[in-house]
Amino acid sequence: MEEILRAENLKKTFKLTKKQQRNEKTNLHVKVAVDNLSFSAYRGEIYGLLGPNGAGKTTTLRMLATLIKPDSGDAYILGKSVKENEKEVRKKIGFLTSELKLEDFFTPSYLFDFFSELYGVEKSVKDRRKQELFRKFGIDRFQDVKFGNLSTGMKQKVSLVISIVHDPELIIFDEPTNGLDVLTAKVVTDFLQELKANGKTIILSTHIFSLVEKLCDRVCVIIDGKSVAEDTLENLTKGSTLEDTFFRLYRETTGETV
Amino acid sequence: MNVLTIIKKEFSRFFKDRRMLITILLPGILIYIVYSLMGTVFKNESKIDENFRPAAYVINMPAGDLGKALSSVLQISEEQMDAEAAKKKVEEGSLDLAIIFSENFDISVDGAQNSIEIYYNSANEDSSIGFEMVSYVLKAFEQPKFVVNPIGGSYDLATEQDFAASFLSTLIPMLMFALLASACVAVAPESIAGEKERGTMATMLITPVNRWEIALGKIISLSCFALLSGISSFLGVILSLPKLMGGLVSSDTVSFYNAGDYFMLFGIIISVVLVIISVFSVLSALSNSVKEAGAIISPCMIVIILLGLASMIITAPAIGWYFIPLLGSGLAMSGVMAMTASPLGVVFSILSNLVFAAALIVLLAFMFKSEKIMFKK
Repeated sequence: MEEILRAENLKKTFKLTKKQQRNEKTNLHVKVAVDNLSFSAYRGEIYGLLGPNGAGKTTTLRMLATLIKPDSGDAYILGKSVKENEKEVRKKIGFLTSELKLEDFFTPSYLFDFFSELYGVEKSVKDRRKQELFRKFGIDRFQDVKFGNLSTGMKQKVSLVISIVHDPELIIFDEPTNGLDVLTAKVVTDFLQELKANGKTIILSTHIFSLVEKLCDRVCVIIDGKSVAEDTLENLTKGSTLEDTFFRLYRETTGETV
Repeated sequence: MNVLTIIKKEFSRFFKDRRMLITILLPGILIYIVYSLMGTVFKNESKIDENFRPAAYVINMPAGDLGKALSSVLQISEEQMDAEAAKKKVEEGSLDLAIIFSENFDISVDGAQNSIEIYYNSANEDSSIGFEMVSYVLKAFEQPKFVVNPIGGSYDLATEQDFAASFLSTLIPMLMFALLASACVAVAPESIAGEKERGTMATMLITPVNRWEIALGKIISLSCFALLSGISSFLGVILSLPKLMGGLVSSDTVSFYNAGDYFMLFGIIISVVLVIISVFSVLSALSNSVKEAGAIISPCMIVIILLGLASMIITAPAIGWYFIPLLGSGLAMSGVMAMTASPLGVVFSILSNLVFAAALIVLLAFMFKSEKIMFKK
């Protein structure tokens, strides 16, 4: 199996302001968001980061996407370090989160062209991909409507398509179905499965058990920034449900019952 | 290459949006209309008939030169009345002045017996003007040893051009700085803090584009918009000046500057826009929202306008002043408008601005790289 991503001892801390200290009820000046996290993902698999809110999933994905730098440790995407070769890494990944927005003023068609240019996609390749992807997602009928005037579902489809204008090897999705209605969520999950079928690797973060059960080949359970279990879904649950497995791990790690 | 892509995007963002275009072009049109209206109002207010002679009643009018001088500027009433009746008429407005010389008034003798009472009505404009005129005439006779500016001569030798040049040299730098700064405020926070706030900046930051390319692309396009807005405002000012100045600056004022002057002025303006846009862009990048950017930029704007006023204080600048960004441009602009510009000073002021703006673009690129600044949450 070809290793597409290898994360080695990723660590990220954030300074806490006085207000944050009060909110978190702590005297510590720093919060360890991600604590020595290591994992690998292979070609053609969907790898899930499962954890509660605040566990460090988004921070991990942001480090992989080169938006923020790890304090220590490193991650390699197709052999390129996210710390040293940011630009090379960015060419190989597609990143989609609800924080990354598209400008309301522009049309899907314009946005596709704009981002293709920024990724250095050749014009002939771009035109072909645009036609294919727009048709597949039904964007073609709305390609000249301003992004701001599209429905939420159509916006999500356009965002998906824009995130892969450059046909990346690794696609990173932060909470891919959060806040989406059932129809749009289905579009997203179908899309992820199709990417997988095309040999792409997908890393996704979520706190939704059913999504992991439906999509993920392997999963890493993250609690308080640490990896507490990592395996295939089958080995992890051992006949139990993912939900029960997760709460057992949570109790064992934090000592708290939910 | 990517710089071009960013510039193209910014241009389509602005030029396809009617609202943005209005933001850019409206100030110039408004300035033209408002100044022209103000000028028309001023003109009507201050219209003085050159042949105006205030109506006056004079008691004990002295003979000799003083009497002749007064008769030449006043329209002396022949009516017979006493002092009280004359004052009453002044109060009512049917007479502009009542002038009472003391009995035995003799201009050739110094002494307390020489007194002149001038009754006037300050609520009546003609009366006020009459009072000024009589005071002026009397002043000329106060010092019998010599007379300063005898009545009837024309002593203000300033040509219309000199007047216009000195007027514009104080007005234009401050006005231009204010106009350019407000144009920059209209575009920079929206394009940088706005993109950060809306999350569209992050989408651009995950592409393999170099940060400096984004910074440069943004600053070049924003400078173009601000320049367009600045020029629109500038034209508004220049075209409305003749009306604003009520005929003091004639409409061919702009034509006594030659191509070289305009060339220098344009160079200075472009470099000023680059600096202001760069400063505002850096401040916008520090902010998390357009609103926050506006709050940080406001005090900065006041400083910029004050720098435009510097030419009023630093009247004969040493060459070193021109090396200070913006301040040097204010001095250079003032020099061009007064037609006393030192070309070397103009060049230095432009160069120092360009260097300063380049440093800020580098700083902005570093800020785009900083996760603390771009992803503060």
